[in-house]
Amino acid sequence: MGVIVGPRVIDAGLSLETALLAPVAVAAGYPSPAQDYFDGRIDLNEHLVKDVTSTFIVRVTGQSMERAGISDGDELVVNRAMEPKDGSVVVAVLDGELTIKRLRITPSGVVLQADNPCFPDIEVPTLSELTIWGVATRCLHHV
Amino acid sequence: MSKPAVMRRMQEIAHVDVNCFYASAERAFNPSLEGKPVIVLSNNDGCAVTRSPEAKRLGIGLGDPWFKLRPRAKEWGLVALSSNYELYGDISARVMELLGRYSAWLEVYSIDEAFLGVKGEPDELLALGRTMKAACRRHVGVPVCVGIAPTKTLAKLCNKWAKNNPTFNGVCRWESVPAEQREALMAKLSVIEIWGVATRLTKRLNAMGIFTIADLTRANPVAIRDKFSIVMMRTVLELQGTPCIPMEEERIGRDQLIFSRSFSTPITTTAGLRQVMSVYAQMASARLAKHDLQAKVLTAFAATSHFNPNEKSFPSVCLALPMPTADPVLLTRAAHALLPQVHEGVKYVRAGIMVTDLRPSGNQNPLELFENPHEERGIGILLEDVAKRYGRGSIGLGHAGIKGGPDWSMKRDMLSPRYITHWDELPLVKAA
Repeated sequence: MGVIVGPRVIDAGLSLETALLAPVAVAAGYPSPAQDYFDGRIDLNEHLVKDVTSTFIVRVTGQSMERAGISDGDELVVNRAMEPKDGSVVVAVLDGELTIKRLRITPSGVVLQADNPCFPDIEVPTLSELTIWGVATRCLHHV
Repeated sequence: MSKPAVMRRMQEIAHVDVNCFYASAERAFNPSLEGKPVIVLSNNDGCAVTRSPEAKRLGIGLGDPWFKLRPRAKEWGLVALSSNYELYGDISARVMELLGRYSAWLEVYSIDEAFLGVKGEPDELLALGRTMKAACRRHVGVPVCVGIAPTKTLAKLCNKWAKNNPTFNGVCRWESVPAEQREALMAKLSVIEIWGVATRLTKRLNAMGIFTIADLTRANPVAIRDKFSIVMMRTVLELQGTPCIPMEEERIGRDQLIFSRSFSTPITTTAGLRQVMSVYAQMASARLAKHDLQAKVLTAFAATSHFNPNEKSFPSVCLALPMPTADPVLLTRAAHALLPQVHEGVKYVRAGIMVTDLRPSGNQNPLELFENPHEERGIGILLEDVAKRYGRGSIGLGHAGIKGGPDWSMKRDMLSPRYITHWDELPLVKAA
């Protein structure tokens, strides 16, 4: 950990780190008059975070989601407000731990799957018996 | 159900606060704490400043010193955590932004509570309370309770009932509670439970035969003014349903200072917000100095009106100051970190700053030598430039330049990760 020697300055162009983690203004799908004044530089926040208030970044540990393109050490952009659907990659609370799984909603029940056959599925009768912490919307994969 | 011919659109005040905020913020990122007794300790791991309901049931009191609790912690399964102000500051800003979606005016009353102006029919107001409660839980991950009433004092009272009485399910509206039930509830609560009544006043009220909130509600406001003060008279009037506690711009909490307001004329320029941030930072500096305090964490925020769907901008930053400080230059510079997020031309209707992680000044002697005089000579700016070019940690003043952080002097053995504000402390999710 480096030492912070001054208040950290948020500059979307220079410091992705602070810019991404601090909640910032994002135009989510409707035209904003502000855009007329914007200098046009590509803004990763705008691209990656649609709902700043409910979006958190988490880090993956483990290999069970590698086939989904999510590797050990990757960061995930997680929206807590989003409605989980069949096929969503979700962060679920299992035994008090934040765990990443693919959600399957089938007529016979709800299944949390790893994208790796070595890991067993977890079946629950209904969605209400699960605590879904959030829905992963983006993976920041380290190449 | 038939509705009255004339719509009863009420204008009321909602009071929203997060249940045991610090413990709830910790639980949001560490679900294994759910259901366990959790306490959060004051600076230097001194005493319990937040207790989860499970910890309260163990008989742990507010302010109980940690050294007395520690011997029994294992036996109780008690989890004690150091104060993680960067986490709490960011979660607070998110909760306030979310609440702002439901009201044209929002008064951030403390790090974990706010008053909102709400309008609607009685049923709509109750539904709005439930919506806000569900939204805070789902969008940010923290539990809140909501009290809705014609006055601030009654809204706070309703919130207390919502918290302590499971039948309300966390949302209580004054006029939706039958009068007899309200009377019974007020007759059970001591006057000390009312907002703004201090312990020493309780004794004097008791001497007048006023013991419960019901007693105080029946008191003559003028007689109360003559015996006490205009402040106590306002409390009585508010209990009787007359709103008379105005919106406040500045508030001093137990462990934070807040300066914020809604603007009558929106601010549309970065320069304008720069000025607002400067004013508030300097107010905070003066207030800290007056109370011999220094702050370590600053949150700055601004917001557009939620009733203008074409313009949405909710900039906020929560940052750790390089050292505990009351220095106006340092605080102003920190508050200005908000500005790059501000969109020129957008109408901002609300802005403010909050300083937390307060501690008595004088505990950071090695650093004090370097503060004010050097700031004035531009050394702060030079340092900032060097740090920008060569990276954080490349240069610093005195102890601030040593890798490992200047926090060495603060005992925080049980600090949770700064989940939201540091890349290397992100919450971990298991893929297994």
